[in-house]
Amino acid sequence: MIPHDILTLYGAKGLEYVIAIAFLVLFVPFWRYAMGTRPAPEPAIVRAAQAAPAHSDLVEWFRVARDVFYHPGHAWARAAEAAGAVLVGADDFAQKLVGPLRTIELPAPGTAVRQGEPAWRLHAGDKTLDMLSPVDGVVTAVNREVLDNPGLLRDDPYGAGWLLQVQSPRFAAQRKGLLSGRMAHRWIEDATNALRLRMSPDLGLAMQDGGVPVDGIAQALAPEDWDRVAREFLLS
Amino acid sequence: MSSRPATLTAPQPWFTEKVLMGQPWAEYRRGLFTPFNAVAAFVLAIGIPIIVYRFAAGLGATTNLSQTNPWGIWIGFDMLCGVALAAGGYTLATTVYIFGLDDYHPVVRPAVLTGFLGYVFAVLGLMCDLGRPWNLPIPMVYSFGTTSVMFEVGWCVMLYTIVLALEFSPALFQWLGWQTLRTYLLRATIGLTVAAVMLSTLHQSSLGALFLMAPTKLHPLWYSPFIPIFFFVSSIVAGLSMVIVESSLSHRAFQSRVDHHVDMDKLVLGLARAASVILFAYVFLRLQGLADSGRTDLLATPLGLWFIAEIVLFAAVPCLLFAHGARTRNATLVRWTAGWSVLGIVVYRLNVSVVAYNWEAAERYIPSWMEVWTSLTLVTTGILVFRWIVNRMPVLRDESGH
Amino acid sequence: MRLTRRTFFKLGGAAGALTLAGPAPAAGAASKVPGGSMKAVLVDTTKCVGCRACEAACAEANGLSGPELAGDDRVFAAPRTTSTRAFTVVNRYPGHDGAPDRFVKRQCMHCVEPACASACLARAIEKTPEGPVVYHGDRCLGCRYCMVACPFEVPKFEYESATPFIRKCTFCPERQAKGLEPACTSVCPTGALTFGTRATLLLEARQRVYGSPEKYAQEIYGELEAGGTSWMYIGDRPLEKVGLPASVPNVAFSSLTQPALAAVPFVLTLWPPLLMGLYTFSQRRNGVDAAATTDTHEVRHE
Repeated sequence: MIPHDILTLYGAKGLEYVIAIAFLVLFVPFWRYAMGTRPAPEPAIVRAAQAAPAHSDLVEWFRVARDVFYHPGHAWARAAEAAGAVLVGADDFAQKLVGPLRTIELPAPGTAVRQGEPAWRLHAGDKTLDMLSPVDGVVTAVNREVLDNPGLLRDDPYGAGWLLQVQSPRFAAQRKGLLSGRMAHRWIEDATNALRLRMSPDLGLAMQDGGVPVDGIAQALAPEDWDRVAREFLLS
Repeated sequence: MSSRPATLTAPQPWFTEKVLMGQPWAEYRRGLFTPFNAVAAFVLAIGIPIIVYRFAAGLGATTNLSQTNPWGIWIGFDMLCGVALAAGGYTLATTVYIFGLDDYHPVVRPAVLTGFLGYVFAVLGLMCDLGRPWNLPIPMVYSFGTTSVMFEVGWCVMLYTIVLALEFSPALFQWLGWQTLRTYLLRATIGLTVAAVMLSTLHQSSLGALFLMAPTKLHPLWYSPFIPIFFFVSSIVAGLSMVIVESSLSHRAFQSRVDHHVDMDKLVLGLARAASVILFAYVFLRLQGLADSGRTDLLATPLGLWFIAEIVLFAAVPCLLFAHGARTRNATLVRWTAGWSVLGIVVYRLNVSVVAYNWEAAERYIPSWMEVWTSLTLVTTGILVFRWIVNRMPVLRDESGH
Repeated sequence: MRLTRRTFFKLGGAAGALTLAGPAPAAGAASKVPGGSMKAVLVDTTKCVGCRACEAACAEANGLSGPELAGDDRVFAAPRTTSTRAFTVVNRYPGHDGAPDRFVKRQCMHCVEPACASACLARAIEKTPEGPVVYHGDRCLGCRYCMVACPFEVPKFEYESATPFIRKCTFCPERQAKGLEPACTSVCPTGALTFGTRATLLLEARQRVYGSPEKYAQEIYGELEAGGTSWMYIGDRPLEKVGLPASVPNVAFSSLTQPALAAVPFVLTLWPPLLMGLYTFSQRRNGVDAAATTDTHEVRHE
């Protein structure tokens, strides 16, 4: 109960001080013990990216890179080190939409590409899909690794999965017509919502698992003519 | 940008799509025959008539409560433990929205749902315990017993249940497709979280403060002016432990609903780290309470030994196991420890409300089977509702924002 | 024990003389005593003969069925508690070593600052300025917190009913309002129960107890217990030995929860700035980690 006589009070309060000091002394070693061998903080949400810097975000199901410019046909462009050089590729949305690729057909170096015109071809299943180039220019290099291993496009579409290097002297002007930053996020959200609207309920449930539910959303939506669905989004 | 396409599948009636999860009725009904559902049905088949009987015949006919022991497990377990274990709502909301630790985002929504359902069913348990529950509006509307801790508890619990409902509602609105309302409510997240922490601090501590009124009845080792602090701090531990337990069970039970890209082990280890530090402080706080009571002489009695056991077994041991598990990245150990920690929270609150209460009285209280079955019924119903919601609404999945 | 007319007059006369003999309290005395001007009762256990007329009068005044085993001494076999049908009981405590048996009347103590009233969330139990602690069934939720709070275990709950009330001694406020004494004190034949104001009765108790130390144990139960009660007890042996709860702290029980309740406005005021400060700090830190051209956080919260 509550009140003590003054004599036991000395003892009780003294004991409290001892306990408090013991706590303070033990707290630091305990903290170190508990925080222990933790690795450097990493986001818990697993990123498939390896060499690519962690500069992309997850907008719902699709990764959106921060430092690239998007063409509405789901191709991206990013300035490379050399003057006027631009790296070009297909974005995560396109890659997930189409699904596992049999091969990719890339234009040979020296080919001219024009913004909004078909530049390269994706082969998946028995269908073929064109993708539009995001910039004007001349192809100076292609990513040979992606030709050998189309899976790179899935793992790291904005880094190791780049497709073309294009010499594009007017890139600075052209990229004003492309999407980036917040606009790009909104655009991908809209695309995702458009996809959602098409989903039947049970498919929707399976897909709402998050991450990449199925490889090849278009195929899941319309097994027979999925390339028609894909072309609607890829504008090709 | 693509124009709005025609839907590729025929839209189904709202009820079939939303409630039956897109399954035709016959198929849905078939899917209901599972072992868990059978057990749940059995529990409810007995429990619901008991509850009806309790209201028809009174508390004397259904409980072992007496003039000496007016409170039993409906207060000690359903109310006190239910509220403590639902504390995951505010602890995770604080972690994610106030401390900005976005990594824990995947568990905040299930924690809020567990919190909301925990409070709803704690209040239902309270309804069963109150002798005149139809008078509940009275202290809410016109007769305010402002000197009473119970008054504060009642108001805080009522307000907090509303806050939890609002915090969860974006998931509900997502399910219903009411986007505007959802966006509007998402903006209130920070404000709701602040309110949640405030209200939780108040009523978690006040549930303990209730017992300050019984210095002659509560055993001196448990009676302390610091009971409110003990209840509040242990509620944080309860919340974190319960989130670990609930997420572990949910990920087993709801495989198809879960975001497999989330590293749950990592989150669980992080929560365990936090829980271990808080438990460390809690153990010392309880020792301070012991020193302040001036009755260390009572430690040599049977109840004194039980007091020591409670602190050592149910607070210090989980503290060390959480720390060790987090340190060695042993998520399995952490999950079992979380279960033990939850048990420890229950033990503490039952000790205060039933075991150490009236410790000198000749007449001891043992709950009647009907009291136990009622609590079981309420818990089972809570699990069923949880499952119903998780199967339909975006709770376990990480969607845009929330 | 049978009461003879002789004993009756002897005891009655002594009681009357004692009451008249005491000087009137000085004008300021009431204000020094907590609840000094409220009505109270002094229970002198050396005078109670166990006739249980008080139990009968109480039952009649409250419309209860009469006291159990009326006129039958077997009722004293074991101490009884009050119940939902008996607001007051008289218990017998055998005397040892030739000391006489003592009879002790139990009922609500009508504390100066009642624990039950401060505990009630709906003000269904209230302390009236005149003294009685009254119960309003229409406001009661049946939460039974008053039962937890009362150190004297007074409130009793109608567990057998589907619409239960709390039941306890009322101190007969309707009778007091008419200028009458409570039913029990009005029929006490021996003067064991004296009705008056608390200040007067405390003075009376002190005079008896300190004036006759050979006759009375040196304590007035209820003077300080639970912050002071209106029903005070004196007797020839320590009152904890005749059934009154021992070790009741000498503080008003409402003061035990005051600190916890006092924290409420502080939490409501301090938590928002504290939490918003943490929020701002964490937002800033998260903003620094992210790349410069980003709206990540806004996107995450959308």
